[in-house]
Amino acid sequence: MSTPKPKLCEEDYFNTFYLEHIQAASNFAYFKCGNSDTSLDYVQDAFQKIWGNCSKIDPDKAKTYLFTTINNLFLNHVRHNKVVLAYAKAAPYKDQTNLNPQYLMEEDEFKKKLLAAIEDLSADQREVFLLNRIEDKKYKEIAELLNISQKTVEKRMSAALKIMREKIDRTKF
Amino acid sequence: MDKERDILKWFEGELSFQQLTNKYPNDDFSTLEKVNFYSKQIKVPKVDTYASLDAFKLRNSQKQTSKVFPLNYKSFLKIAAVFIVLITSSYFLFFNTMTSYTTTIAQTDTLTLPDNSEVVLNANSKIFFNKKAWKDNRNLNLEGEAFFKVTKGSTFTVQTKEGEVKVLGTQFNVNQRPNYFEIHCYEGSVRVNTHTKYQILAPGQSIKIIAGTMGEVENFNAQNPSWLNNESSFSNVPLWQVIKELEVQYDIRINASKVNTSQLFTGTFTHSDKNIALQSVTIPLRISFKIDGKAVEFYNNESN
Repeated sequence: MSTPKPKLCEEDYFNTFYLEHIQAASNFAYFKCGNSDTSLDYVQDAFQKIWGNCSKIDPDKAKTYLFTTINNLFLNHVRHNKVVLAYAKAAPYKDQTNLNPQYLMEEDEFKKKLLAAIEDLSADQREVFLLNRIEDKKYKEIAELLNISQKTVEKRMSAALKIMREKIDRTKF
Repeated sequence: MDKERDILKWFEGELSFQQLTNKYPNDDFSTLEKVNFYSKQIKVPKVDTYASLDAFKLRNSQKQTSKVFPLNYKSFLKIAAVFIVLITSSYFLFFNTMTSYTTTIAQTDTLTLPDNSEVVLNANSKIFFNKKAWKDNRNLNLEGEAFFKVTKGSTFTVQTKEGEVKVLGTQFNVNQRPNYFEIHCYEGSVRVNTHTKYQILAPGQSIKIIAGTMGEVENFNAQNPSWLNNESSFSNVPLWQVIKELEVQYDIRINASKVNTSQLFTGTFTHSDKNIALQSVTIPLRISFKIDGKAVEFYNNESN
């Protein structure tokens, strides 16, 4: 790098980096704490750390640094609040042609159970599961993001699916 | 194991649901299918990216302008303040032990100093001294009147606004009221220093310094100051000083504007009866008085 000023310390570069990752980072934080206000606070704190250390961080690794920092901020924040998730409003049902009230009720019931099951997952499992489902991330991407091996990500995902399936099936009459 | 891998692949989008069910026709994937479908609908809070960038810049600039140093400086001040309070209070507690005794109007008090010297404080008087330094320096401040029985030792100094009295070991009485300074020596010898002059008193001698002017050395033959016996004695003392003493002993206000207060009084008044005391002062001077609660008025006896 021939420029005397590190790339990340350039305001324009940092702004782009920020805008590119703020939503994903916020989601990630949200998956961990389940509260949109505090999660945004954590994300801002993490960005602040990056800005403060911009000269020391390799721009290529800034994204990993961001997620690791958010993760660490949570670890420091020992008290884990219960994660409360919700569905988007007017989310479609699986079978969109079936408007039978019996069917709709069953699906609503299922969605409630699913939320409860996700909320009961361990934080590690939940974050892998939601990153995959909501962010559509590949296991490899998640591994890079969390700075863990892909094997670990797959293990957590498998465990999450297994637990949820058992939980939901158990409550099936 | 393979099935688990395939399920993972399906969730990753590498494998379609169709392919999965074809591969494992005997398995029921309906629960997982719903999990797969509905978990995608979970809402995440939408971040207004530009607004949060602005908020970020704002809080960044706020933090940067007040970077570390002023913060440390403030906490340093706090710590310093705590230390100053601690140090000064401990200084006053342990090193600068000024002890003081005070009497109010119509009250006397007998106290013993650290070297067993005795002090009798007359009414409306105050002494204070440094208890810690007493061993090296027998030095006390007096406002008002006190009788001292000093045990032998190093120089004993009584400091007042009007002057100071230095002794070695003796009994003496110091009376310092505004513009009035009187010393009686009962035993040993006493050196009286005013701001300009000094005088050495032998036993049985007394001296008055009125408004800074030193009078003649006078002789007396009492063993103790009369106020120790609940009396006040005067010998050629201006009436205004006698009035002040009356006020101090009886907690009264005397209005003497109608009489000549510079005439001299010789005599005694008691501390136990206000009427008798007022009579013993006024009758020899041919003055009448009226008592109205705490206020007393002196006026010339016109019938005479």
